[in-house]
Amino acid sequence: MTDREHYTPGPANVAHIRKDRGANDDGDEKWTLVLVRELRHSPEKVWQAITDPAHLREWAPFDADGNLGEVGTTVKLTTVGAPMPRVTETTVTRADAPELLEYKWGDFDMKWELEALSGGTRLTLWANIGRRFIAMGAAGWHICFDVLDHLLSGTPIGRLVGPEAIKFGGWQRLNAEYARQFGIETPNWPP
Amino acid sequence: MKIKLTSIYVDDQTKALRFYTEVLGFAKKTDFSQGPYRWLTVASPEQPDGTELQLALNNNPAAKTYQQAIFQQNQPAAMFFTDDVKADYERIKARGAEFTMPPTDVTASTIAMLNDTCGNLIQLTQLANYSR
Repeated sequence: MTDREHYTPGPANVAHIRKDRGANDDGDEKWTLVLVRELRHSPEKVWQAITDPAHLREWAPFDADGNLGEVGTTVKLTTVGAPMPRVTETTVTRADAPELLEYKWGDFDMKWELEALSGGTRLTLWANIGRRFIAMGAAGWHICFDVLDHLLSGTPIGRLVGPEAIKFGGWQRLNAEYARQFGIETPNWPP
Repeated sequence: MKIKLTSIYVDDQTKALRFYTEVLGFAKKTDFSQGPYRWLTVASPEQPDGTELQLALNNNPAAKTYQQAIFQQNQPAAMFFTDDVKADYERIKARGAEFTMPPTDVTASTIAMLNDTCGNLIQLTQLANYSR
């Protein structure tokens, strides 16, 4: 018996979306996915979890070949579980430990903010994403943040990304719930 | 076992989707993303459940070298079959595509070649019907 077998995500209440100006190249509207999660851990601990490759490997949807915690560093990010290797290179554009972190994952602008709360941290992630994929992204990050919370609490359940996430009933439910909230059709996937 | 899908490398998936749908006339079939990874396929509206063509991002240096070499040798990266190559040539040309070869009779077929603007030459093939 593991905690992973008993893990069920909560309701779809971690993410919201914001429409940006303009459209991307294929006419898809630009949106930003905003995920907010309160963690009962210090900003320093959360900062390490979002910058240190050894920690990222335990919960994030990508592997990093270097530490993301220093501005100007170039790091290769590998999407985990993609059908073909997808490696993108990024340069960290902002790293104010333990408060603000900015870099790109592929074409997505990733902005992380850590606010100290009494006894914890409010973690906010802004990630721009094509409108048609935004519910899938919300569902994926929602689960990643649950896995992160377990990791920080010393009860790791193991990374749940890529195929592991998609075949998981909890992901499919979250994808449908977020799609309904955001007013988009769920993409025809899994087919 | 079936042949259900074939892939073509493209240097820009957004641009490729526009070209393969708006210019060539195929229809988007599957569009799925996982982070920066994007699985994108088109199919022919004449055969919506037929063979799919994957528009795969060419971020592979070895594949780029191969793609450029066969492009320079005027070799097509993919061939599509049509019942009327002259009509397709006119239709696709009218939508702005650059043909490197107009419809030309060769053994057993009439072929035309066009630039897909994403790093590839595409051949259109109409098989000859000698019995007529």
